Amino acid sequence: MLLDFDKLGALRGVLIGITVAVCLFLILPIVFIAALSFGSSQWLIFPPPSWTFRWYHDLFADPRWFYAALTSLKIAAIVTVLSVVIGFLTALGLNRGRFPGRDALRALFLTPMILPVVVLAVALYALFLKLGLAGTTFAFVVAHLLIALPFSIISIGNALEGFDKSIEDAAILCGASPWEARLRVTVPAISHGIFAAAVFSFLASWDEVVLAIFMASPTLQTLPVKIWTTLRQDLTPVIAAASTLLIAFTILLMILAALVRKGPKT
Amino acid sequence: MSEPFLNIRGIRKTFGSFTAVRDVTMDIAQGEFMTFLGPSGSGKSTTLYILAGFQDPSGGDIFLDGRSLLATPSHRRNIGMVFQRYTLFPHLTVGENVAFPLRIRRRPQAEIAERVRAALKLVRLEGFEDRKPANMSGGQQQRVALARALVYNPPVLLMDEPLSALDKKLREEIQFEIRRIHQETGVTILYVTHDQEEALRLSDRIAVFSQGEIDQIGTGPELYAAPATRFVAEFIGDSNFIETSIVSTDGRQARLVLPGGAMIDGVPLHGAASPGGRAALLLRPERIDLQRGEGEGALAGEVYDVTFLGNNVHVLVGMNDVAPVSVRIPFGHAALAGLTPGERVSLRFNAADTHAFLEPPAA
Amino acid sequence: MALWATAGATGNGKRDGSLGYLVPALLLVVIFFIIPVLMLLLRSVLEPEPGLQNYATLLGSTTYLRIFLNTFIVAAVVTILSVSIGYPVAWLLAIMPEKWSRLVLAIIILSMWTNLLARTYAWMVLLQRTGVINKTLMGLGLIDAPLPLVNNLVGVTIGMTYIMLPFVILPLMGVIRAIDPGILRAAALCGAGRLQCFLRVLLPLSLPGVAAGALMVFVMSLGYFVTPALLGGTSNMMLAELVAQFVQSLVNWGMGGAAALVLLVVTLALYAVQLRYFNPNAAR
Repeated sequence: MLLDFDKLGALRGVLIGITVAVCLFLILPIVFIAALSFGSSQWLIFPPPSWTFRWYHDLFADPRWFYAALTSLKIAAIVTVLSVVIGFLTALGLNRGRFPGRDALRALFLTPMILPVVVLAVALYALFLKLGLAGTTFAFVVAHLLIALPFSIISIGNALEGFDKSIEDAAILCGASPWEARLRVTVPAISHGIFAAAVFSFLASWDEVVLAIFMASPTLQTLPVKIWTTLRQDLTPVIAAASTLLIAFTILLMILAALVRKGPKT
Repeated sequence: MSEPFLNIRGIRKTFGSFTAVRDVTMDIAQGEFMTFLGPSGSGKSTTLYILAGFQDPSGGDIFLDGRSLLATPSHRRNIGMVFQRYTLFPHLTVGENVAFPLRIRRRPQAEIAERVRAALKLVRLEGFEDRKPANMSGGQQQRVALARALVYNPPVLLMDEPLSALDKKLREEIQFEIRRIHQETGVTILYVTHDQEEALRLSDRIAVFSQGEIDQIGTGPELYAAPATRFVAEFIGDSNFIETSIVSTDGRQARLVLPGGAMIDGVPLHGAASPGGRAALLLRPERIDLQRGEGEGALAGEVYDVTFLGNNVHVLVGMNDVAPVSVRIPFGHAALAGLTPGERVSLRFNAADTHAFLEPPAA
Repeated sequence: MALWATAGATGNGKRDGSLGYLVPALLLVVIFFIIPVLMLLLRSVLEPEPGLQNYATLLGSTTYLRIFLNTFIVAAVVTILSVSIGYPVAWLLAIMPEKWSRLVLAIIILSMWTNLLARTYAWMVLLQRTGVINKTLMGLGLIDAPLPLVNNLVGVTIGMTYIMLPFVILPLMGVIRAIDPGILRAAALCGAGRLQCFLRVLLPLSLPGVAAGALMVFVMSLGYFVTPALLGGTSNMMLAELVAQFVQSLVNWGMGGAAALVLLVVTLALYAVQLRYFNPNAAR
């Protein structure tokens, strides 16, 4: 009866109470930041004495924010493309191949996701210093690709797991070469997995802080690095404005993801 | 067989130490409907996959119209195939699915439209062009798959248990469709199934697979009347086997001693045997003459069970030291009316209706 | 035979270029992950001179031991809080009508996907001396002076629990959803009361999920960098910050490598425990 929603009795009230509290706990800081970004108080007093667009104005007036966002976008875009392409190849190899050590290899590819990022960041920083590549776009892309790739391998791997390879074989017998069959049949059939891989890869790079702090140079900063360095100085409401835009962006992505999931599904 | 069309020559396939297919050889005539029949793991699907090019044989060769197929990759073999599972491309409509092979071959748009329409007409799915596969029944999906496999006029169509996912009634319906399509198109079909009824209903000839080998190739009646091995006898039709020992043999026929001591002469014998050896005697349930009482039959026993099965009645007869023998008698058989368990009966049969298969010597 | 056909068609058969497909990922992981991490660890025993003195310093000083202790305490408290708060939510999510569970899930995912810095920033603002929380508590007359909620481990714990909650709730929801409600109905018909049903049936059945979630949160918390750095202040350092500090501020690669190794070894050991005892694939 403990798993029948209608038969929980008084327990149901308790569970609902806790859940509502947790939902408020999770959502309120986000709402709060969004509200404060329009508040006039420099000291982030709540409720704000009056409302203003001043912080957004400051944000857009400072070109460093714009460049940081542009850098983030550029790196995230490159990472997304590479992550999806390499992730597709890797997932295909892991899914189709029957060779010893396959599970060990899969675990190896997923490791960068579960290890403390700071270890990876410091190690990569040392390597790129030695190679003279510190502070370059290349260093950023490689670092972010390492943590984005596991998301692609998992998303595309799951989709391939649910895809009947006979369908690809059928396309081949219809006259399509193996790669033609993959691109014209397999890829469209697992497009939901590829889309998920793209979204997760993008977010993994776009939101990434720790690696970015180590890969950044004074001239090459991503948005999180810019927020980080600003935050270490003071809690200016400009960050609230920037955060609010990031939150809006997240909601947009979520809606997009929901729409794609609702779309053609097999 | 008119002329060489599709020749399979000594195909072998091993996976490590396991031999999936050993020395499969056969000739298939143009327009023939050939079925590979056998249980799971008998090598029939592996042979089909080798023909499709999804696997390379460990040895042997395949010739289509006199040319070896093995060097040609799957997508250039120009072979059609319908798979066991539904393999329609989920993101394409029915029309686009059927058009796919023609698009790959870069046929002109008008020709594609025309041939897609004709192929869908052939499988009786006109008007389904814009449906998505997800919105169709399993039977419809397999018919679309058939249209897709035939739209480019392949000389050979492979079918790998295409109906195994469908329920019995639908299966029979589509079996009929497949027969009709085979007659209308004249395409050569290689069909894999483990269902003997399906094989008998569809095929011109049947190749019975067992443990990676072909036991026998022949028409349905041939396999039933003259099974080459005990396995074929068991797989095609119903069967009883009775252990006997060989008294004498001329190599083709034998004189045997039945468990009760009775002798039977002139039994067709399969395998090189010598007097004193053991042989399993095949008795078809419908070829046994059942008599009330202890007559002068070759075997005698007691009725265990009587089951009414519609137009015939199934009688199980128990005997000393022998597994029960099943006998089928027509319903309404006057002399046997009211047969009840416990009655003594005798069994008679014609030596020409039986077959003896050599048993390995007792351990 | 279908099995053979499938296995063969995808594997032992032909055109098996599948190993080749792994080359790009393999190159990436070897060159930019394995080699640099090994190099870093090597530096911990080679710099400033060969030997284990870095580890001796690290494990011999009370300053560093305090950091280890801080890290473990915070990780443990965050884990306990996340699991005990997350369990009821996961439970309700698993059984509530879908239209409501969708809303709750949307909130959880929104919070999870929101930029980490934005979320941490929100807590920095909320928890500061003049922040909403202190003001509310004072307004209610519960406290007289503002509580120190930020720049200490309290702030870190709150901020990290906030971040870790989704990581407990989502997998645990899956585990509870997979339990057949009939089992609990049967337990109730057998005469078990609610508490007994929970303690003897539901909890044991969901325990693999609890253990896996707890371990994941604990491991993630041990290596967390951003939230402790921003909410903890300089005097309450955690292990990941120590690694970063050695490298960034002190440019002491030997000590940085040593601290990184400690973090790495603890993490990998805990993952090994998880794989060995709580592997969901092995359990089911």
